Amino acid sequence: MIRKEKKALRMGETHVEAVRSTFPGAVLDATWQAEDQVTITVPADMLPDVVEFLYYGRDGWLPNMVGNDERSLNGHYALYYLLSMEGADPSFVAVRAEIDPVTREFPSVTPRVPACVWSEREVRDMFGLVPVGLPDERRLVLPDDWPNDLYPLRKDSMDYRKRPAPVSDMENYSFLYEGDAEETTQVPMGPLHITSDEPGHFRLFVEGEEIVDADYRLFYVHRGMEKVAESRLNYDAVTFLADRICGICGNAHSVAYAEAVENAQGIEVPIRAQYIRTILLEVERLHSHLLNLGLVCHYCGFDTGFQHFFRVRERAMDLAEMLVGARKTYGLNLIGGVRRDILESQKLSTIKFVQELRNDVEALVDMLVSTANFESRTAGIGRLDPKIARDFSPVGPCVRGSGFARDVRFNHPFDAYKHLEGLGVRYHDGCDVQSRTLVRVEEFMDSLTMIEQLLDSAPAGPILTEDWTYTPHKFAMGFTEAPRGEDMHWAMVGDNQKCYRWRAKAATYSNWPILRYMFRGNTVADAAIIVGSMDPCYSCTDRVTVVDVNKHTETVLTKSQLESYCRRRTYSPLQGRGDA
Amino acid sequence: MFKLFKEIGRAGNATVAYPAAPLDLPDGYRGKPQHDEAACIACGACAVACPPNAISMELAADQSRITWAINYGRCIFCGRCEEVCPTVAIKLSKEFELAVGCKADLEESCSYPVATCARCGKPYASAKEIDYARRVMMQAAGAGAAAAGAEGDVDAVTGATLDAEGGELEGMGAAGAGASELAAAADKISLCLECRRVDDGVTAQKRATEKGGAR
Repeated sequence: MIRKEKKALRMGETHVEAVRSTFPGAVLDATWQAEDQVTITVPADMLPDVVEFLYYGRDGWLPNMVGNDERSLNGHYALYYLLSMEGADPSFVAVRAEIDPVTREFPSVTPRVPACVWSEREVRDMFGLVPVGLPDERRLVLPDDWPNDLYPLRKDSMDYRKRPAPVSDMENYSFLYEGDAEETTQVPMGPLHITSDEPGHFRLFVEGEEIVDADYRLFYVHRGMEKVAESRLNYDAVTFLADRICGICGNAHSVAYAEAVENAQGIEVPIRAQYIRTILLEVERLHSHLLNLGLVCHYCGFDTGFQHFFRVRERAMDLAEMLVGARKTYGLNLIGGVRRDILESQKLSTIKFVQELRNDVEALVDMLVSTANFESRTAGIGRLDPKIARDFSPVGPCVRGSGFARDVRFNHPFDAYKHLEGLGVRYHDGCDVQSRTLVRVEEFMDSLTMIEQLLDSAPAGPILTEDWTYTPHKFAMGFTEAPRGEDMHWAMVGDNQKCYRWRAKAATYSNWPILRYMFRGNTVADAAIIVGSMDPCYSCTDRVTVVDVNKHTETVLTKSQLESYCRRRTYSPLQGRGDA
Repeated sequence: MFKLFKEIGRAGNATVAYPAAPLDLPDGYRGKPQHDEAACIACGACAVACPPNAISMELAADQSRITWAINYGRCIFCGRCEEVCPTVAIKLSKEFELAVGCKADLEESCSYPVATCARCGKPYASAKEIDYARRVMMQAAGAGAAAAGAEGDVDAVTGATLDAEGGELEGMGAAGAGASELAAAADKISLCLECRRVDDGVTAQKRATEKGGAR
């Protein structure tokens, strides 16, 4: 669908033209999926050049890369490098390349744009595509005992109900050490974590108490949701599955999925439904940010504050319960709109809740920042260098704490965010735990203002549309700003009322790769608060392995040991264990 | 430090009496789905809509009965069943204490007789569902063309039920359909889909010949 007449440029067209003029002949095709979404197809060997050009040359960021088995559609595998263009002409550009189904090789983009590293590792695990030149050859998603030649997301590979017999009894994952100290100690944290729902195994390389490097392995609880969505559920029930991606910010995923399908199918969601979605996304942010602020208190050894933030958080949950009938903002989205309206009486009590929350949280934040521990435990800790941030495309308060104004609500306003007045991206440039915490505090207050504004200005009208036709194999992106950063979904529906391919990227997926850089130069006692400042959902690492590079010893710490060390900073759990 | 104590004093008692006293829940709370077996017509709409497959419909081996079952362990309390139920036979209640001592107690089920075709004798649908469709159609037929206003809701339901039945009678319930036509359609409901298709084929052929003759 290349534009014929030269009228006003479409959103994203300047980027397409720039690629055309810089790499003559590279753009084989350019199609628009939605007003601000364009997909350009390039030859596979041009991938690194084009992605690098858009990323560094035109203010692009990389939320996600999607692999798709399109052999039944066009005989090839396809890769979609999704780029969020945040400079001039804000839009989304997806760089698509078809991959030969026999050789299955493509040049890795990671050496040029480090942000691709996880996606490329994942596409190798799931589709058996080979990123040539990818520095990290380890598995990302699949467990150690998974057969070598079974690629779960290929259309012809396996039934989602079956699990292959384990091929190995050994854990054979190697943790990489990138530091230059010759002797370090290794500290394993995991496989269950300190602050996130996802169990993760962290390995800290330390010299004495100082962390010189860290590596980690996650995906211990990979649930195979994408496969389930493609095989068992109808496309319109996937919103309910998307809710379950996260125990905290499920609604953000649900909205992102619904909007991916709506964008692809050209469905116009009624304005009132857009307002309701936006209000509920902000309600979700309220309780999520309160949770993280509570945890920050906890890791600073200020448990009274933790209890009080959780007391107030309970009011935010009550608000959700009043609006949607459940403590979490779950199960509200359908393709084409929402299922519940906000009634006048609910609107009035929401405003009351909002005022109450604003007063309570102002008092609590005042209490938190005047606590001596807060300053000393968070300032200058867990530094995320802006250059690292630029290379790896982290999202949410992580990147906003390092001086970048990245927030999909303002960069690419969607739903009712288009109609907000007097609000902007909150960011700090301290690059440390404190900056990330302050960003959350300010965003919390902004969310309250947003809810008030939106409730006031929401127009009356229908909340669901069924006025559209289902067209198979159309695809698009859907995006929301979850409390932890942007969620990016990519969905293509099939000819059987199911998702042909659904790629859900949670915010924290973009943030994990930067963690090792945030760890470096800090002490073991700060490890928990650094992970906590990333807010990776909830229970981080339960166990930690500490490897002493000097003594070649390994010590396994439990979650409570590490946590209590983080809070008290006395009685190092490493003491006296060196010779074990 | 002073701020802290002030805040603690201001917050007062943050806990509630539950479980010693019942918990106050807002209207529209989504708790345990409550099934009304008398109102249920075993049409299976809820089983089709249920995203986690918590609700299932299973036909007995001899096809004489159909069993509606719910597994509360799988339920995600979304309330899709409530939305799609034509007879309000399932509603989300405010009950949320679902813990049981034994897994089997999480399941509830209820079975309904299956009707057989008046002509060929094959079992074809839940008897209550057929009865329901017949009643709705007779009611619509009784109301006649005046059905537009107050009966609008019933009409919508009729249309929906018939769509689910196989679609060949769709639009019958809509305004404009003659009472006699409706009564005839209600009559056909005692036939299985195959027999109805045969009948429809015959009618269509007859109409075609008549048309051809007129020309």
